[in-house]
This record gives sequence, structure tokens and C-alpha cells, in this order.
Amino acid sequence: MIEHLSGEQISQWMIGERGPQLERHVAECDECRGQLAQLETTLSQFRGAVREMSSSAAPPAWRQPASGPWFSWPRLAFAAVTLLLLAVLPVYWSARVKELAAESARADALLLEQVDSSISRAVPEPMEPLVNLVTWNSNPAEMKKKAERQ
Amino acid sequence: MATAVESSRELEDFESVVRLYWLKVFRFALASVRDHDAAQTLAQDCFYKAYKARGSFRGEASVGTWLMQIAINLVRDQARDRRLQFWKRARQTGVDLDTASRWIPDRGASPEVAALAKEQVQAVWNATESLSERQRTVFLLRFVEDMDLLEIAAATGLKEGTVKIHLFRALQAVRERVRTAK
Repeated sequence: MIEHLSGEQISQWMIGERGPQLERHVAECDECRGQLAQLETTLSQFRGAVREMSSSAAPPAWRQPASGPWFSWPRLAFAAVTLLLLAVLPVYWSARVKELAAESARADALLLEQVDSSISRAVPEPMEPLVNLVTWNSNPAEMKKKAERQ
Repeated sequence: MATAVESSRELEDFESVVRLYWLKVFRFALASVRDHDAAQTLAQDCFYKAYKARGSFRGEASVGTWLMQIAINLVRDQARDRRLQFWKRARQTGVDLDTASRWIPDRGASPEVAALAKEQVQAVWNATESLSERQRTVFLLRFVEDMDLLEIAAATGLKEGTVKIHLFRALQAVRERVRTAK
């Protein structure tokens, strides 16, 4: 005969894990049978207490949930905002595209102007003072007068 | 056990379903959340969800098990909802733990025996509160709802072996609490 049931064996018994050896012992041992019976009684009283505690709760009258009217203020507001966005977005988008095109044209014109002014120079910019010097000394009238004097 | 067709047909008269299973769902919710109002709301949500989802019910489990499945999910969602934790602490309609053992039937027991029984029921009640959510669910389904392990497995979506493990651990904790309460 095995020793008295351990705590784990009692829990095993309660969840239905009962080997033949355990069954034989419980059948023969008053003390273990008493312990099991005590635990079963406590659990049964617990069941009774919880059931009694909730027994006063009557089910509420069941009404089939309505599917809800198609019209409601939040729905209407959402639809209005969506429509407004759909109407405003294309207008805004086309204005923005035009604005971007104009900005790009302005930038192109400015660049072309800069290129023109740089090409129209006779000499590079650092040499411009020399050109002025040459131009001052080589004034044709001045040179003619100089030649006559000589 | 009802066949799939019978179970599906049972859902056609939903009012009867509510009448038949309300107490079971409410009781489980009450023992889980320990708040009368929250349990009432949870049971209502459970039947509402079931009604909405009745078209997808295939009858693989009984209507009762299917409803418990929904209730278990709702209890779990509620436990995870951190916002509710504050209100849980400040609950006004919470089930009074001191009076949880008030309803023990007398059956002519001596005052000493009745007092001991109340203490022990109180100890079980306290122990279930400190169990993990899964252990508590399995424990309540087994020892309050009287469901067998296979039904519990179907309702919780756990394997039967896993149900046994949770139940074993829950029982160990409850036994320990009852033993120290003596």
C-alpha cells in the first residue's frame, strides 16, 4: 500500500488523473478518502455560492438589434467632407500646376538673360579695364590730331 | 450532443438562446470580473456578438460552448484593457469578497461547521482572484460550470493536455489557500 496521497496526487485525482494504484489506495485509506471528500465539498460549496450569487440576474428582454437607419448626422457630415474634398482638390491641383509652370518659365528666362550677358562680352570680365584703356588711347580724333602735329 | 444542424437551428430563435444561456454566461463573467455591472455588460456584449456572428456558426461545438468561447474572449479583452484597471480598483458594484460566502446553504449544519465552510469558500474565492487569467478561466469552467475537459478545451481553444496543466496548477494554488485558511 502506498503512503498517504501527496498534495499533487490529490490535485491529480481531482482533474481525473487516477491510476489504478491511486484508486486502490483511496478505496482502502479512510484518511485520504476524507481529504478528497473535504476538498470536493468545498469546491461544491464554492460552486453553490457563485451560482446563488448570480441567480438573481434575470436575462434582459432581447430585442433584435436594428441594422440602423441609412441617414445619420455623422454619416452626412462625412459624405459632405468627402464631396467637398473631391470638388476642391482638382481645382487646387490645376492652379498649383500652373503656378509651378510659371515659376519654371521665370527661372528659365533669368538663366537665359545671364547667359546672353555673359556671351555678349568682348573679353572676359577681368580684362575689361584693359579694353577701356585701349579704347581711351586709341580715340580716332585724338590720333588724327596727334598725327597732324607730327 | 446536438448535431451541427440542430445547433444552427437553435440559433434561429435567438430569444430562446438568450433565455437559456444568459445565466451561464453572466455567472462566468461575474466570477471572472467580480463586478456586477461589468458582468452584465459583458454578458450583453457576448449575446450581441453571437447574434451578429450567428451566420458564421458552423455547429462544430454546441451553442453553449460557442457562447462561452465568446465570453472568454470578452473577459480576456477586458482584463487586458488597462483603462479599465483603474475603474476595477474603484468599482462601486464589485462583488464583496467578504460576503461571497454568504450564500452557503445551511442544511442544518452547526454554527461552527457553517463558519468553517464559509471560510473555506472565501479562501477559494480569494485564491481564484490571484490565479492567472487562464488558470482562473479553466478553474471556473470546471468547478462552477461543471464542464468536462474536452468542452473546456473547445471553449478556450487550448489542447486538452494544456487544460489539464492549467487546472492542476489552479487546484494546487486553491488547495494551498484553503489549507492555510483552516
